Amino acid sequence: MDKETDILIIDDDKDLVGSMRIVLESKGYHVRIAHESKAGYARIQEKTPDLIILDVMMTSDTEGFDLAFKLRNQPDYEAVPILMVTSFPKHMAEQGPEKFQHIMGEEWPVTKFLEKPIDPEQLLDSIASLLQGD
Amino acid sequence: MRMGHELIKEQLFFRKELIERVAWFIHLRWLFICAGFVGSIAGYLIWRPFPHIFFLTVFLCIAVYNIVFYRIYVKLSAKPSQDEKSYALFAHSQIVLDLLALGLIIHFTGGVYSPFLFFILFHIIIAGILLSPASCFVYGGIMPAALGMIVFLQHLGLLDRQPVLFSSASVVQASDTQTLFLLILDTAIILVTAALTTTIKISLRIKGRELLSVSKELTAQNKKLNSLYEMVKEMGIRTGLQELMDAATRQGTQIMGVKACAIKLLDDQRRKLRFVSTYGLSGDYIAKGTVDIEKSIINRKIIEGSVYAVGQIHEKDQFQYPEEMQKEGIASMVCLPLRVEKMIFGVFCVYSDTSHAFQESDIRFFSLMSDLTAIFIENLKSELNKTWFLQKTAHQLRSPLNAVHSMLSTMRKGYIGGIDPRQEETLMRCEKRIESLGSLIGDLLGLSIRRVGMDQKKMVPVNIGQVVERLLLMYRAQADEKNIHIIHSIPESLPAVLGDNILFDDLFTNLISNAVKYTQKGGSIQITIQPESSERIRFEIKDTGIGIPEEEVPHLFMEFFRGQNAKATTEEGTGLGLVIVKEILDQLNGTIQVKSTVGKGTCMTIRLPAVS
Repeated sequence: MDKETDILIIDDDKDLVGSMRIVLESKGYHVRIAHESKAGYARIQEKTPDLIILDVMMTSDTEGFDLAFKLRNQPDYEAVPILMVTSFPKHMAEQGPEKFQHIMGEEWPVTKFLEKPIDPEQLLDSIASLLQGD
Repeated sequence: MRMGHELIKEQLFFRKELIERVAWFIHLRWLFICAGFVGSIAGYLIWRPFPHIFFLTVFLCIAVYNIVFYRIYVKLSAKPSQDEKSYALFAHSQIVLDLLALGLIIHFTGGVYSPFLFFILFHIIIAGILLSPASCFVYGGIMPAALGMIVFLQHLGLLDRQPVLFSSASVVQASDTQTLFLLILDTAIILVTAALTTTIKISLRIKGRELLSVSKELTAQNKKLNSLYEMVKEMGIRTGLQELMDAATRQGTQIMGVKACAIKLLDDQRRKLRFVSTYGLSGDYIAKGTVDIEKSIINRKIIEGSVYAVGQIHEKDQFQYPEEMQKEGIASMVCLPLRVEKMIFGVFCVYSDTSHAFQESDIRFFSLMSDLTAIFIENLKSELNKTWFLQKTAHQLRSPLNAVHSMLSTMRKGYIGGIDPRQEETLMRCEKRIESLGSLIGDLLGLSIRRVGMDQKKMVPVNIGQVVERLLLMYRAQADEKNIHIIHSIPESLPAVLGDNILFDDLFTNLISNAVKYTQKGGSIQITIQPESSERIRFEIKDTGIGIPEEEVPHLFMEFFRGQNAKATTEEGTGLGLVIVKEILDQLNGTIQVKSTVGKGTCMTIRLPAVS
């Protein structure tokens, strides 16, 4: 596996991040971590990662989405694949309150969704396919 | 515009009265003619000198002109546009001819001494009812004048005195003073009658006019209230905030017949108003951006607590964007607060392309409309927040479970270090139990949202065949693992069922997962979807599973109930699956039927209403 592949995980659940990190590092990925979107954005600015694993609800309910929209609107980062991990299935967002309505009707700003709990194999498969540009 | 319109309505009302009376007048005359004929003959039989030939001739003439009048009446009423002038002329000509005939009768039956003198009064009354007061007095003046003329001519000897009916004397032997006195008395009676009739008529007309205006007011109010009811009904079924507000602005514009309506909401700092829903305004106008309440006096007044604020475009200092408004063709506007209790959260604006378009009553109505809109918005917001609260609760409950599950599977799959088969087995069991806790949370959440009625969904026509096929793909792997053969027969084209994709997903997921769960290795599951009639679709899922004991079937749809053999077969299962199925079916107006034999299998049949 390519040692240089740099993956940034942005998720506030430290235990979950820990287990993802173990799985990813076991396959030789270089993993960086942030526990909220501001810090995550700072990491991205330091160095553009090859892939971002992003949670939805962190400090605010839509933090993950907001960051994803922000990245999609920047030429430097728009091509970075985003794997959104959430225990917040898409249909909940569709029923969600007012604050989610600005998302509805627009393209989801993420490349792929993965529902929690994260199965190690599923995670690795998804990452591999995203990195190959599928 | 409005004034002119009301005037026409009022004229229509009184014209209708005139037309009806004219018809009544013609019918009355027929009665009078009949009575006249009979009376002439009777008079002749009783008193030989009775001038029956004269009377019969007069009544014949009256009959002839009444036929003519009748025909004219039929012709006039067939005309689509009935014009009041021709009816008034018609009424005048009838009165003139009647009075002429009456004059002849009076003259030939004794002049001022004639017993028929009183018939003049009827005509004066009729003229007073049908025509203007002036016409009534003119007729009331002409008749005594004519009488006076006859008396004068008789006095001069230019006209013969006529005998009084049924009087033994051939002519009345009265002094001139007596005759003059009678003439004056008759004139007075006629004029007093004219005065009384016209006074009564004028006061009736005033009352009628008042009644008409009250009824007009009531009709208008009723129309508005009905529209408001429609608006409330429409807002009541909206489940999204945007849809709700769009319904309010659209209905507001249509009900009040104005150019446009808009809803603007305050931002968190309460300094700017953002357009969230508009109807009748151009994209360019909305694109001018948010309204700064510091710069827009009309909007600021509302936020500061005014009940309403009216603005005319020429008062430029009232607005932040006067040029844009002018370009948009707005001439005047009203702003009203969107508030619940004392909390103002936005502004409801109504725009007109005419200046000074809004009257006090319009504003009162708009105020009612904006209050209702505000209540609906707040209500929906709070419902959405309740749902959101439940969903967030579920999220918070799931988060630690998901983390534990992820850590367990990371460990079980050897990413942290080697483990032996017994450890792996134990970890696997842990994962399974956590998974079932996860589904319990999901099921409970779904149920509570449904029970509190907060999941009013957009009902759209759905092809349930496609839903089932998609779900089957997901269960294929699980079925293959147990070597279960799934056969399905789903027609390519199916009538749609009105519902929501998530509801159908939940419904069929529960049924398919039950079948897979309770069918042993090597068994089979058969799924059939068939239209049963033009109105119903049948979905049937038949397995060769463990079956349900007969005595347990009635309890299947009770919360947390699980059959004895089901519990023995697998730990998995929340006891909520079929409860969810039943509740969804209730929502979709569907039914379920269960047939089962222990050890042989279960067949569940669902019937759903189809949309044509």
